[in-house]
Amino acid sequence: MSQNGNQLAIIKKDTVDVVASKVKEFQEKGELHFPANYSPENAMKSAWLILQSTVDRNKRPALDVCTRDSVANALLDMVVQGLNPSKKQCYFIVYGTQLVCMRSYFGTMSVTKRVSGAKEIDAAVIYEGDEVDYEMVNGRIKNLTHKQKFANINKENIIGAYCTITLDNDNVYTELMTIDELRQAWSKAQFWGKDQDVEKKGSTHEEFKQEMAKKSVINRACKKFLNSSDDSSLVMSRINRADEVKEEALLEEELQQNANKEIIDIEYDETPIQEQQAQTEPEIKATGTEGPLF
Amino acid sequence: MINIKALASGSKGNCYYITDGHTPLLLEAGISFKSIQKQLNFKTTSIAGCFVTHEHKDHSKSIAEVLKSGIDCYMSKGTAEALNIHHHRVHNIEAKKQFKLGTWTILPFEVEHDVSEPMGFLFANEVGDKLLFATDTYYIKYKFKGLSHIMIECNYSLDILNQNIEVGRVPKIMKKRLLRSHFSLENVKEFLKANDLSKVQEIHLLHLSDNNSDEQRFKQEIQALTGKLVYVL
Repeated sequence: MSQNGNQLAIIKKDTVDVVASKVKEFQEKGELHFPANYSPENAMKSAWLILQSTVDRNKRPALDVCTRDSVANALLDMVVQGLNPSKKQCYFIVYGTQLVCMRSYFGTMSVTKRVSGAKEIDAAVIYEGDEVDYEMVNGRIKNLTHKQKFANINKENIIGAYCTITLDNDNVYTELMTIDELRQAWSKAQFWGKDQDVEKKGSTHEEFKQEMAKKSVINRACKKFLNSSDDSSLVMSRINRADEVKEEALLEEELQQNANKEIIDIEYDETPIQEQQAQTEPEIKATGTEGPLF
Repeated sequence: MINIKALASGSKGNCYYITDGHTPLLLEAGISFKSIQKQLNFKTTSIAGCFVTHEHKDHSKSIAEVLKSGIDCYMSKGTAEALNIHHHRVHNIEAKKQFKLGTWTILPFEVEHDVSEPMGFLFANEVGDKLLFATDTYYIKYKFKGLSHIMIECNYSLDILNQNIEVGRVPKIMKKRLLRSHFSLENVKEFLKANDLSKVQEIHLLHLSDNNSDEQRFKQEIQALTGKLVYVL
C-alpha cells in the first residue's frame, strides 16, 4: 500500500505539478485568462481524484497504463479549455496507452460561451405535430418560433432538433437538424452497426433520444462557432486535440489486436522437398530489427 | 525468378506487370488500356490474368477494356458487384481459397480498406518463389512464410502527414480516413518486423502519397530495417 502510495505521489509530481506550473507560466505571460469563476487548482484536484479510479477497457488503472506525457497533456487540455470534471464538463478515457480528456457537451457549451462571448445556448426537440416557423435571411435562420403541444412529446415521434446561440439581443444563431441528419451524425460513431438505420433497442440513443438529439445539435452549432472563430489562442489549439489523439490511439490499439497475427500459406498437393524441410523446422522467428538473415 | 514491372503506382493509377518467365500477369488495371499496351509493347495477348484488389478507379479504370481484350480478370464478388461488371471472363475469388493459373498458385486474402471486400494476393510459382501483393490496406491481419518478393503499399508517414496538416497543405478531415484506409511507413515496418524475411530478395514499396511521403526516406528506412533491396515504384 505504501509503495502504491509512493508511486502515486511520483506520478502526481510528474504530471499534476508539472501541469500546474505550466498553467501558471501561461497565466503570467498573459497567454491564458480564466473566467472569474474558474479555478484551475480545483479542477486539477477533482481530476486527480477521478483519475485514481479511472480504468481502461480491461479494468486496469489508467495511471498504470497511460504514459505520463499523455496524462499531463490531458490535464493541460482540461485546464486550458477551462473545464471541470466534477461538473461533468469533461471526462477521461484511456485509449491504449493514451489518456484523453474528452469534452462533454456541457463542456463544449462552456468553451463556446467563453470563446464567442455568447450569453445563452439553448436546444429543443421538434416532435411530429409541432408548429415550427422561421425565415431565411442572408442564408441564416431568423425568428424561429416553435409551438408545441404537450401531447406531442413522444420520443418515437422526433422529427428534428435545433439549437440557438444568443450572442446579444439582435444576434441569434440557429442550427437546425432533421432526424435524418441526426441519425447520419450518429451513424459515424463506432456503436452504430454497418447496415443500421435506426437506433438499436436499449441503446443510449434509443432510450434517451431527446437528450441525444439536443446534444448533437448543440455540438454542431458550437462547432461552427468554435471553428469559425479567428481566435488562434492556446484555447483553440487544445480544442480539437482530443479527437486527434483519440484517432491515433484507437488505431494503435486496433493494430495491436489484429495486425500480423495468423500465418497463412499456400498449400501444396505434392510437397516439394524444400518445403518439407521448412515445415519440420520449428516456427520461424521474425528477423526483427537486427538485420537480414541470409 | 520473378520479374516485376510497374506501369503505374499511386493514387493516379496502379498497374503492375509480373512474370515468372512462363505466366505473365497484370496486377490492377488502374490506368488506360492504351497506356498498358504501350508500356508492354503491345504484347498483352500472353497475359494470363489480371488481378484487381478493389473497385476504386485508380485500381480498376480500364477493367472493361482489359476484359474485352480477352484477359481473364480475378476479383472478389464484392469488388465485381461494386464495379457492376458482368462478363464471362470475370472470375470471383474468395479469401483463403487458393487456385492455380498457369505456373502460379494464388492465395487471396482479405485486406483492410474502406470498400466492398478488398483483397490482397499471395503468388507462388513452381520453383518456390513467393510474391506478396498488398495495397490499399491499413494493416494486414496475416503473416506469411518464405516470401521471396514483397510488393506492399507504403502510403504515408504519420509525422509528414501531421506536419502537412499543421501548415494547411492537407485538410485535417483527410487524416481520419487515411489512418483507416492506407498503409503508413510506421505500420509497414511493424509488418516487416513480424514476418520472416530470410528468403526475401526484393521489397517494392507501392502507392506512395504525393503529399505525405518521402521517397528517399522511405527507401532508406526500409532498407536499414530489412537489409534488402528496396525499390520505390
